[in-house]
Amino acid sequence: MKLEAGKIANTQLFFLALGMLLGSSMILNPAQSIGRDGWLAVLAGMVEGFFFLGVMVTLAGRFKGQTLVQMNETIFGSLLGKIVSLVYLAYFWHLGSIVLRDFGDFYLAIVYPETPLVVIILLLALLCASAVRNGLEVLGRCSVFLVPIAVFFIIFDSLLLIEKIELSNLLPVLDVPWKDLLKVSHGVATFPFGEAVIFLMVMAFSNNQRQVRKTMFGAMFTAGVLLSWLAARNTGVLGSIVCIQAYPSFPVIRYINLGEIFTRLEIVVAAVLLSLGFIKITVFYYGTVLGLAQLMRLRSYLPLVLPVGAMMVFLGACVFQSNVENINFSFNIYPYYSLPFEIGLPLLSLLVAVIRGVPKPNQGEQSDHRNNGPNRPKPGKVANSKTENGKRGANTG
Amino acid sequence: MLRGSGAEDGLKNMLKKILKQLALKKLLKKKNKQEQPLGQGQELSRDFEKNVELFKKILGKNRDFVQYEFVFGTHEKIRAALFYFEGLVYREYINEFILKPLMFQSHHFSSGELRRGKSIAHLRERLISIGGTEVVSKVDDILNNCLCGDTILLVDGYAEALALNTKGWKTRGVEEPKTEALVRGAREGFTESIGINMALLRRRIRHFEFTIEEMQIGAKTRTKVCIAYLKGVVNTGVLEEVRKRLGRIKTDAILESGYLEQFIEDAPFSIFPTVANSERPDTVAAKILEGRVAIITDGTPMVLTVPALFASSFQSPEDYYSRPYYASLIRWIRYICFFITVSAPAVYVALTTYHQELIPTPLLITMAAASEGTPFPALVEVLLMGVIFEILREAGIRLPRPIGTTISIVGALVIGESAVSAGLIGAHMVIVVSLTAISSFVIPAQTDAATILRFILIFAAGFMGAFGIFIVFLGLLVHLSSLRSFGVPYFAPFAPVNLPALQDTMVRVPFWMQLTRPKMLSRNRQRTEPGLMPGPEQKPSQQKQSN
Repeated sequence: MKLEAGKIANTQLFFLALGMLLGSSMILNPAQSIGRDGWLAVLAGMVEGFFFLGVMVTLAGRFKGQTLVQMNETIFGSLLGKIVSLVYLAYFWHLGSIVLRDFGDFYLAIVYPETPLVVIILLLALLCASAVRNGLEVLGRCSVFLVPIAVFFIIFDSLLLIEKIELSNLLPVLDVPWKDLLKVSHGVATFPFGEAVIFLMVMAFSNNQRQVRKTMFGAMFTAGVLLSWLAARNTGVLGSIVCIQAYPSFPVIRYINLGEIFTRLEIVVAAVLLSLGFIKITVFYYGTVLGLAQLMRLRSYLPLVLPVGAMMVFLGACVFQSNVENINFSFNIYPYYSLPFEIGLPLLSLLVAVIRGVPKPNQGEQSDHRNNGPNRPKPGKVANSKTENGKRGANTG
Repeated sequence: MLRGSGAEDGLKNMLKKILKQLALKKLLKKKNKQEQPLGQGQELSRDFEKNVELFKKILGKNRDFVQYEFVFGTHEKIRAALFYFEGLVYREYINEFILKPLMFQSHHFSSGELRRGKSIAHLRERLISIGGTEVVSKVDDILNNCLCGDTILLVDGYAEALALNTKGWKTRGVEEPKTEALVRGAREGFTESIGINMALLRRRIRHFEFTIEEMQIGAKTRTKVCIAYLKGVVNTGVLEEVRKRLGRIKTDAILESGYLEQFIEDAPFSIFPTVANSERPDTVAAKILEGRVAIITDGTPMVLTVPALFASSFQSPEDYYSRPYYASLIRWIRYICFFITVSAPAVYVALTTYHQELIPTPLLITMAAASEGTPFPALVEVLLMGVIFEILREAGIRLPRPIGTTISIVGALVIGESAVSAGLIGAHMVIVVSLTAISSFVIPAQTDAATILRFILIFAAGFMGAFGIFIVFLGLLVHLSSLRSFGVPYFAPFAPVNLPALQDTMVRVPFWMQLTRPKMLSRNRQRTEPGLMPGPEQKPSQQKQSN
């Protein structure tokens, strides 16, 4: 079954992962609730995130070229595997909707207090739908264009703020109960680092499977360092009030003053954040759509794009009563809610795979060659993939 | 375009069905009713009279069709006839090199000798001193050659005719191109004549691998179309695709390369052109040398080149003729200009309507004061001025030149001072509009797309402020990176990022550093030998030895 004909280079995978990890955590950083030790919490969370990622990458390495849905069927059998996949997909859908909502709330709060939430969410979802329609290749290209610019702006902003940073705001270090620190760092591990679980749907399309592990760890490390730096910068500028800000990066940018001309640059930063959020939403959106199509054994995922998008808009618009509920959910409930999906199920899958001894070695090799996996192509599907290839060849000239 | 074209596919299928059901049936019926045109599929007969009669029937009513019957000098029994179209031939050629030898020098041969050969070819070998002749026997071919400017020679007793190349008509000379002017660089531009255009290219690439293939497209116009490429450098996949797409065209008329462009482009529904064009032989030669394919169409000076990249729209041949620093700077100015012409009015709308805090306070106060008395919201102002500008531009292009000055005076009055003093728009609006207008002329290749984008962005900014602008820009990025031109990603050196190719897009590095051709265009990479950095001789010791 070749739903996604494209392949992405590992540079693209790197920036896709980086964009996804930075995504909404740039505006809504769970580490901020602990104040001056937030930057440490991010780093600690990253270490926990590495553990999550290790499980995911091992799983992906065992089933090279297979997406989550395909490997679930091999691991748990046809029926149970489908149920497990459905649970994952529900999570992806939910998470995508939450990120949509995050950005809707964000724009509502900072610039458009009188615009209906659903308008913002709808526009954003339409944009993401157009990206999903164009497939992973295009999304990969966009991420290589957008994420470096975004990272450049993050660093550039920080340079402009350097005189406003008071290092004493960060002291004393580690003057919080260990329990609180661990709780927050676990929050960071689940949001955003654990969310890399969506890349179980994407890693299969890397054109260099050997480098995937390195790429993903590199992306997570870069994201961790940047987020940690942001947490430190925000605390350094704002001091202890960082805990009570809904979007601390934002008031921080207001401090930028370049010769009395460049002031109030928030909107520029909002643009950068939007581009990262776009990547994050699209990755989840894409994962959901592709997974559903694979689950239902469709020939193309295109018919699912708009329905799934509509469901995401719907859920995004009504999932929380208010922005406060959103923040409460992200900081207090999500760290536990997401555990089964981010570590529980992947670990279980890995264990079952090891115990059952799937994929069998010879099949594994086969799957290496074909990038099709033990989900052996039936005659009809072979014909399909051939026509797909033929079409593609004609199109690429 | 495999993925992401579901809607397009659906649309196309629907269109196809409708066409099949409506138009095609009618067409087919009509075709059946139509009589077979005279002479179609026919061969010449041995009967001279019959042949002459046939051509008289087909072409005789034309005022410019010339039919001239004569005999071979002293051999009075050998009759012959010439057909040609006046205005398509050089009369001197016919008199000097066809009629003269046939009538006055045929006495060197006996009539038996002249009639001996089965083929008419031996006549041309002995008597006709014109290069480029062809033996034809099918009536279709004869008509075709005759309509192209050949002179047809029919001789009694042969079921064949000679098509003699006597083409010659008035053409515009090689002039300085009107559209792509340069300060430094060649002043030659393509003309409407395909022969001259081919020569202009051939003179720039004197290599045996430089190939120009010819084909005819258009059932009625029979337009000559040439594919020019450099064998060994060109990407054969692209070349094959060009041939295939051109060969697929079944239409009546190709009057300009724009007709072809719309038949062969990759993304017909996109606002971006995926086929580039140029009027300059040096530009086209440079593109061919990079591995692209040029498509020359008879009757127009605009030559198409594929694959086209978005980044090439920002390049001018002068970038390569002037030194690299200034060229790189100008390139950046062009990128900025594209950005300005696309987004300046939209940003103005967004700033004044939604994000006043971004405007520096002193400026905000003057702006507020200036727009105090104006009745319209910023969106309406911008749209008004945008439309007025487009009207002026269109009028400026279409007007006969003597009246052109009127437009500039009236335009300056309308757009400028009086609109402000009449209280129609704010003074700052004038700056935004004129800056937009001027910037749009910096990137001629993308002016169409930029104009459309500008209006989309103005609406987006009017309804959603900066958020709307971002959404449109992100959508634009998605769209641009999904486009392909003949298999090459349209947005190529930017997304997918291609670092080596960025040396000719973000900056323009000197030639001795541009060692390779862009990877996406050609597999034959090496272009310049390494180590050619100019400078004083590095090793004085060796020089001494050679002395």
